[in-house]
Amino acid sequence: MRIPTWLQPPGDRWIFTSWLLLCLGSLAMLWSVTEPLRGSYEALDPGVAKEVFSKQVLWVFVGYLALLGAARVPLRALEHAALPLCLGMIVLLALLLAVGPQISGSRRWLMLGPLRMQPAELAKITFILAAAHLLGRSQQDSRGLAVTLGTFGLMALHAGLVLKEPDLGTALVFVAIWIGMAFWYGMPGIFLLGAGSAFLSSVLLFYSEWTRTNQPAAEPSSSWAVYTGPWAVYILILLGVLYFARIGIAAKVVLLCLNVATGLGIPFFWEKLHGYQQERILTFFDPMRDQFGSGYQAIQSKVAIGSGGLFGTHYLQGTQKGLAFLPERHTDFIFSVVGEELGFFGAMVLLALFLTIILRGLDVAAEARRPFCSFVAIGVVSYLTFHVVVNVSITTGLLPVTGVPLPLLSYGGSNMLTSSILLGLLLNIGSHSFED
Amino acid sequence: MSDRELYFRRRIFFAAVVALFGILTVNLFVMTVPQNRYYKDKALENRQVEFRVRPPRGRILDRDGTLLADNMFIADITMPASGFRPGRADTTLERLLEWFHLPRDETLLRLLNQQEAGRARLTLVPNATMPQIAAVEERRSRLPGIRVDTRPRRRYLFDSLFAHLIGYVGEVDQADLDTAGGDQDYRLRDMIGKQGIESAAEARLRGRSGIKLEEVNAAGHIVGRRPFWVQEVVPGRDIQLTLSLPLQMALAGSLGDRPGCGVAMSCLTGEILAAYSSPSFDPNLMTAPVSTEQWNALINDPAKPFFNRFLQATYPPASLYKTVTSLAGLQHGVIAHGTVLDPCRGGYSFGNRFFRCWKKEGHGHVDHSQALINSCDTFYYQVGLRLDIDELAAAARALGLGSRCAGIFAEEAAGLVPDRRWYDQRYGPGGWTRAVLLNNAIGQGELLVTPLQMVQLAARVASSGRVPMPRFVADADAQADAGAAASSPLPLPFAPRDLDWLRRTLAQVVENGTGRQARLEDVAVAGKTGTAQNPHGEDHAWFMCFAPVEQPEVALVVMVENAGHGGTEAAPVAGSWLDVYFHQTDRPGLRPVQAPPARNPGGTP
Repeated sequence: MRIPTWLQPPGDRWIFTSWLLLCLGSLAMLWSVTEPLRGSYEALDPGVAKEVFSKQVLWVFVGYLALLGAARVPLRALEHAALPLCLGMIVLLALLLAVGPQISGSRRWLMLGPLRMQPAELAKITFILAAAHLLGRSQQDSRGLAVTLGTFGLMALHAGLVLKEPDLGTALVFVAIWIGMAFWYGMPGIFLLGAGSAFLSSVLLFYSEWTRTNQPAAEPSSSWAVYTGPWAVYILILLGVLYFARIGIAAKVVLLCLNVATGLGIPFFWEKLHGYQQERILTFFDPMRDQFGSGYQAIQSKVAIGSGGLFGTHYLQGTQKGLAFLPERHTDFIFSVVGEELGFFGAMVLLALFLTIILRGLDVAAEARRPFCSFVAIGVVSYLTFHVVVNVSITTGLLPVTGVPLPLLSYGGSNMLTSSILLGLLLNIGSHSFED
Repeated sequence: MSDRELYFRRRIFFAAVVALFGILTVNLFVMTVPQNRYYKDKALENRQVEFRVRPPRGRILDRDGTLLADNMFIADITMPASGFRPGRADTTLERLLEWFHLPRDETLLRLLNQQEAGRARLTLVPNATMPQIAAVEERRSRLPGIRVDTRPRRRYLFDSLFAHLIGYVGEVDQADLDTAGGDQDYRLRDMIGKQGIESAAEARLRGRSGIKLEEVNAAGHIVGRRPFWVQEVVPGRDIQLTLSLPLQMALAGSLGDRPGCGVAMSCLTGEILAAYSSPSFDPNLMTAPVSTEQWNALINDPAKPFFNRFLQATYPPASLYKTVTSLAGLQHGVIAHGTVLDPCRGGYSFGNRFFRCWKKEGHGHVDHSQALINSCDTFYYQVGLRLDIDELAAAARALGLGSRCAGIFAEEAAGLVPDRRWYDQRYGPGGWTRAVLLNNAIGQGELLVTPLQMVQLAARVASSGRVPMPRFVADADAQADAGAAASSPLPLPFAPRDLDWLRRTLAQVVENGTGRQARLEDVAVAGKTGTAQNPHGEDHAWFMCFAPVEQPEVALVVMVENAGHGGTEAAPVAGSWLDVYFHQTDRPGLRPVQAPPARNPGGTP
């Protein structure tokens, strides 16, 4: 039987096949999550309703239509609409903060009749389009740093609005997308070095202070007077690197100052964080300090994945999942269910599918003739890379727990819609690679 | 962007992505392969909870199979100790207090005490009612960790009737753990026999607790998948007593609420048919939490309800002992059945002391039989003087005095039969005179006996010493479990014609002597009264008897404290009990317990 051509998206077969397999994988895992453990007479407590599976079936269908649409939308028209769309989305995000409904302590959702929508998810698309438009246009008249800083401002605006909701995970996605696109645009490596080293500096400072006092709960802000340990060693190494680096003296001074400043700025930043965010970061360094609270998720997720072994406990038979030890197992922690039931090899297959899309997306970005298309493609690649790497790192305990879903796999309409539209755009761009 | 620049950036991007995925892969591999065992154990630890299952305690039955003690299950609503954080607002706890109408301060204090005692689970509602249990079961998904735990509780079906004999169970204390020695099966809050049969047959009744691994979900609820028994529960075994419920009721009824006791024993099998100590207490109070007032009332009761008067109490045997003196005199040839000694003038002079007879005006000239029938002290003073103290003590020991005769009860007293060595130790050699013989001969002085020893004495006289040692437990197995030595009594050293004479004379005591009030119309009863001098108050009334005289099958001892004369106070009690035995029962003294103990080990875990 031949599938009608209008049902087949154009472009790269690898990307579409991976999308399809990931969606089917999502349905399989959600079926497992909503299925009671065989032989138990106690209803799961707290259980995940079967409804989650059937709703996701609907979302996959919606995602498919979105993918088809995005794969066929005229790219030129899209570029023209990019800035207005982005501005509209910013207004929506601002309105959401002002008058949006408060659901479990945050204003993330927009109620559309029975559906709950996260505008921040769709904002990722409009941001990518707008940034790609700005960067692509500037490449023709080459205004360099000004445009880079302009897109940085756009990114900071998005991230700031989302952070206010509050939603740290999504805010960080904008940062990651911007870094990817700016790097593609030609942002000097020194910027990345500066940002990266500043980040490293703050983490090391935090960590050294934490290990020194080993009393993270009491009063972190009051014990910041003495900076010692790994951070001091790090600054010494940085000094050595800067001495031999072939960059201007001004850049060296700026880099050093940036590192010291972020270190000194940490206490003020720390004060700005919400209590639960502070708690999560502290718990990341020592999950046992709150093993029934915010450390619980991290511990149980690691136990699920680690106990899966090479081949897993087999489909439907994971006890971490089945006995409800694993929290958020249908959303942010669905990768832990894959690890537990399908083992290391199952997780590898999953990562391979994502890697396929990412690497093919990189090809698409490189081969696209029009700069706008190239930047959109690299934005999509950055989006996907960030989500997958951060989500898997959280579930395996490499990063502190933050709400970052696994694209296509985690239950949820916004996630499915955003990911499918972005992949549709990738297909669209790939099918027009050699056109002007 | 130049093509070279693009190529360069693409390579960097590619390298970064591959490096990040590489880190993820290596980390996943480390977690799932080298650390797999660690996480597997953690997952197992998560979901497997070890439960200790207490064994149901063996039941206690009477000789006809009537249940005397069994188990019921009581339910407690419990919560994990980790879920109780004093001083913090806890909506779940507040809701529970409201649902179950619990007094707030009292409950919180109890939870706090239990938490400080280091208990893993705290008892929120002890002795939960059915509606309370239903309320928890309905809402369990909203009550993480809240659970209904059952534990067996001992129930004594006849309240105070068998209290001293069966005893009671209580929570294990440190002393019990010490005496349990190598037995590691006891844990705090377990029940252990504290008195009577419960304590004597603890090993048999207890069984052994089991250990079960259950799978629980994140809320702590058992999911019922693959329970695994690490160690099976061994239920305690039932124990059947030789006692008869109707005879016990008759005994308790005849004694009424007077302080005292009675013991009945088969002269053929040695089985104890009834044993009651008055006043008694309700052993059910011992297994339940009791209010301080109730407890103090029991403990401070001047009538001492916890005191087991047939087993723990020792009294001077008084005139009952004249049977021993007679047998010793006959055995050593110092008197014969018809011997007449110096007449009774209300007492006897020895040395510079005058030893009174109970009858001030004296009995005059009496022969041996008349002296026993009328309990003439003067006559027995003279018999005593013709004997050696060791000869008299040996006769008493041959009849079972001076040593514990049931053997299985820790609380049983041995009594005291003084002999030459004892007096030498007490007063030094030469520090005492033959005057002690006068006191010993009439059962006073240092002599001490338990009512159980006296009923054994009566049964041995009645059966010419053929009766086995007294026993409370039906089958030999259980008897051995209870720790009784399988010793048969030594044959009596007395001539059969002397024992015959004694039985005939004792029959005369009831027929027309001091024991007339124990007389039955159709059954010949032999008995002896006694009135034990009590320096602290009114005399203790004794009566010892057996029946029928020709073929004795049952022996009985009644003792009423501070009541006065044995003939008027104790003998009627014996009479009414014997009437029940011979006219309202199938005379269980004739045959040993036949029915095997019931199979049912009592309740399900």
